[in-house]
Amino acid sequence: MSALPLQGVRVIDACIYWAGPMATALLADLGAEVIKIESIQRLDYLRLLGGWPTPDGYEWSAVFNGANRNKYGITLNLNHPQGKEIFKSLVEIGDIVTENFSPRVMENWGLSYEVLKEINPRLIMLSMPGFGTTGPWRNYVTFGPNVEMVSGMPTISGYPDGEPMMTGYIADPAGGLMGAVAVMVALQHRHRTGQGQHIDLAQMEAITSFMGGAIMDYAMNRRLQPRRGNRHPSMSPHGVYRCKGDDEWVTITVSSEEEWARFCDAIGNPPWPKEPRFSDTLSRYENHDDLDRLIGDWTRQHDKHEVMQIMQQAAVASAPVLSYAEVLDNPHIKERGFFEVVTRPVTGTHPYPGFPAKFSETPVTIRRPAPTLGQDNEDVLTRLLGMTEEEISQLAEEEIIGTVPQGWAYSMEADEAISRLKDIHAKGDDSKKDT
Amino acid sequence: MSGQALSGVRVLDLTHYVAGPYCTKILADYGADVIKVERPSLGDGARGMGPFPDDKPDLEGSGLFLYLNTSKKSITLNLKSAAGVGILKELVEQVDIVVENFSPRVMPGLGLDYETLKKINPTLVMVSISNFGQTGPYRDCRATDLTIWGLSGILYELGEPDREPLKMGSNVAEYVAGLYGALAALSALYYRDETGVGQHVDVSVLEGFHTMQPSMTLVFSYAGFVRKRAGIHFPWGILPCQDGYVGFYLPTQTHWESLCTLLGMPELRDKPEYETPMLREERRDEVTAIIVSWLKGKRMEDVFHAAQELRLPLTLVPNTEQTLDMPQHKARGYFVDIDHPVAGKLTYPGAPFKLDETPWQARQAPLLGEHNEEVYCRRLGYTEKQLAKLSEEGVI
Repeated sequence: MSALPLQGVRVIDACIYWAGPMATALLADLGAEVIKIESIQRLDYLRLLGGWPTPDGYEWSAVFNGANRNKYGITLNLNHPQGKEIFKSLVEIGDIVTENFSPRVMENWGLSYEVLKEINPRLIMLSMPGFGTTGPWRNYVTFGPNVEMVSGMPTISGYPDGEPMMTGYIADPAGGLMGAVAVMVALQHRHRTGQGQHIDLAQMEAITSFMGGAIMDYAMNRRLQPRRGNRHPSMSPHGVYRCKGDDEWVTITVSSEEEWARFCDAIGNPPWPKEPRFSDTLSRYENHDDLDRLIGDWTRQHDKHEVMQIMQQAAVASAPVLSYAEVLDNPHIKERGFFEVVTRPVTGTHPYPGFPAKFSETPVTIRRPAPTLGQDNEDVLTRLLGMTEEEISQLAEEEIIGTVPQGWAYSMEADEAISRLKDIHAKGDDSKKDT
Repeated sequence: MSGQALSGVRVLDLTHYVAGPYCTKILADYGADVIKVERPSLGDGARGMGPFPDDKPDLEGSGLFLYLNTSKKSITLNLKSAAGVGILKELVEQVDIVVENFSPRVMPGLGLDYETLKKINPTLVMVSISNFGQTGPYRDCRATDLTIWGLSGILYELGEPDREPLKMGSNVAEYVAGLYGALAALSALYYRDETGVGQHVDVSVLEGFHTMQPSMTLVFSYAGFVRKRAGIHFPWGILPCQDGYVGFYLPTQTHWESLCTLLGMPELRDKPEYETPMLREERRDEVTAIIVSWLKGKRMEDVFHAAQELRLPLTLVPNTEQTLDMPQHKARGYFVDIDHPVAGKLTYPGAPFKLDETPWQARQAPLLGEHNEEVYCRRLGYTEKQLAKLSEEGVI
């Protein structure tokens, strides 16, 4: 195996759901040995959220399988004294502990940073609850969508004539990415000084930090930025336009007067752009509804890929709006090798998104698929903690470890689950799969 | 200063607009020494973008620039002149990391490709952030944040089914790319410190943004369908109340039951037509109407606290003013006041994460060329006379 940037770094990962696991997936991608701790008593909720109500449905969660690549997976009942002891033994030989519970959970287990630091004085610990580890709301419950809602971003997002909008998921992976950066900042400090520390990452704060422009506008001008849809105050046109076909769209953005001139050229110099109401960025912004209608009349006559070609030839920023099926098939994304084909037990062989950066000396790839439940119990307990076979079977007997979730209730077979999912999300439309 | 996590890390910052500057802002606010190289007289293009105080454009007044460039030093340098390129190479010798986010042709065009810089500084870490990456057929294509949203797959499924796909109101793709740049820089630096081997890292904004919804391509591969635009509807919601909005996400049966308790309508729990998640989704308009009418006249904070008492994942959906006013932010000191000679004292978003031993600290964004003398004279040893000459020649 070739060298990796974080080889030799060991992460003891108690994260569940999505934000925390995303942080440790990135560290694992970069070469850290990440030991993910689940339990058979209480499944990682992400296995349920994206999973199917089928016999092995907890292995079919796409979101779980994406967010746990490159990790080792063990199960450990942290409510059991022996489970806690094993956790502490791992902390002793680890560099980093990560968790994204609400703050009282690790405390209740007796596994707070203060306790763990006694075991490993150089420890770096990342805690990343929704609201942070301090403050009056610290123990309030949030999921990713709540973090996004409370970040402030939805109120500046949405159709101009509509209500606030959200993606519903972006806070989890974005918060996770921030978590990975936070660990690297602390690791750099430890590398230089030997000093570990506790990182307190409030996911809400991480997302609010993406709103610099809107917050500075309020700070400067006491202005609440309106919901602008796809528009931009200093670029116009700036929008998403309908193309030939059913539900096919293209983005077009024009960021200067020179680009506007090239745009007009590219669409064949019709007379309307010369009207005074379109004479500069501000006028175009003020008359954007009319502008959109006229541009839409042109784009509707073209295929979305053709529009991109015409616009890019004129050096105007434009590209089709791709469905996820089309993303997998996109020639640029393919040539970059962004998706990696990985074979995983239960789920089989599929393309998974890789790491979005290429390292010239230490290429980062998907080396292991997401672990099946308890997949690496024996390996980790033997290799890292020197346990014997008898000790390990004893743990299994007492259900401190295991590979089968307790109380897994399933109601249908896989075929039925897939057809229900299609009914809900795609209204039965799978035509794109065949093309 | 030595008390910060990245003290002693030296960064040469050739970035502009959002993605690159956000990357180096993170490094600078946690203690790295970041020298930002800007074009003489114009500077970073973000200086020309608003918001401005009283909407009056001013190179020193852009709120976006001020936010994204805290804690950095600014020097001016004309990279289109041979003398400018020469001086840049002198600077490259002195740093650990170079970060740039030009389009991929630019650095090689200036004779500043990684291979050349590596000869000057053999253990250099260089991070290049570009829309499509340094390779591939779209390499030289033009893109803005919206272009990236469109290609990522994310835009296609956001918005109402009968309307155009809709992006969020912030340049999320660019911020995310900035974070990936920081992650790449710090992990390559870690490897260099361990092994003495530097490297070039090629960060793609498009690929980075795709990882903000990495599961839907996989869902397509597992199950063969693509999710359509569906808007936001029950069991999610952002709904109006008296003084703003509240939002919720109710993924389980327990959450539904808690909602019935919150509404003071325990009888809803026993209604057969709302018994399962699927039934509730079918009747989502009815369910939503019940919640909307209950919310009428109620204050968002009251609803929030009452819901959280029941462990119901419901939160405020604050506007910017309400965001700045939230007790949680105040208790944690999230927003910070930073003074600036031109823009004055303003409230900025603060630390995106708190380190208990080595605090985050943001200092005012630099004026254009504010640190020319410090960097050119004190670090590179140019005399004031030479500096004046370079200035006359338009090099700085």
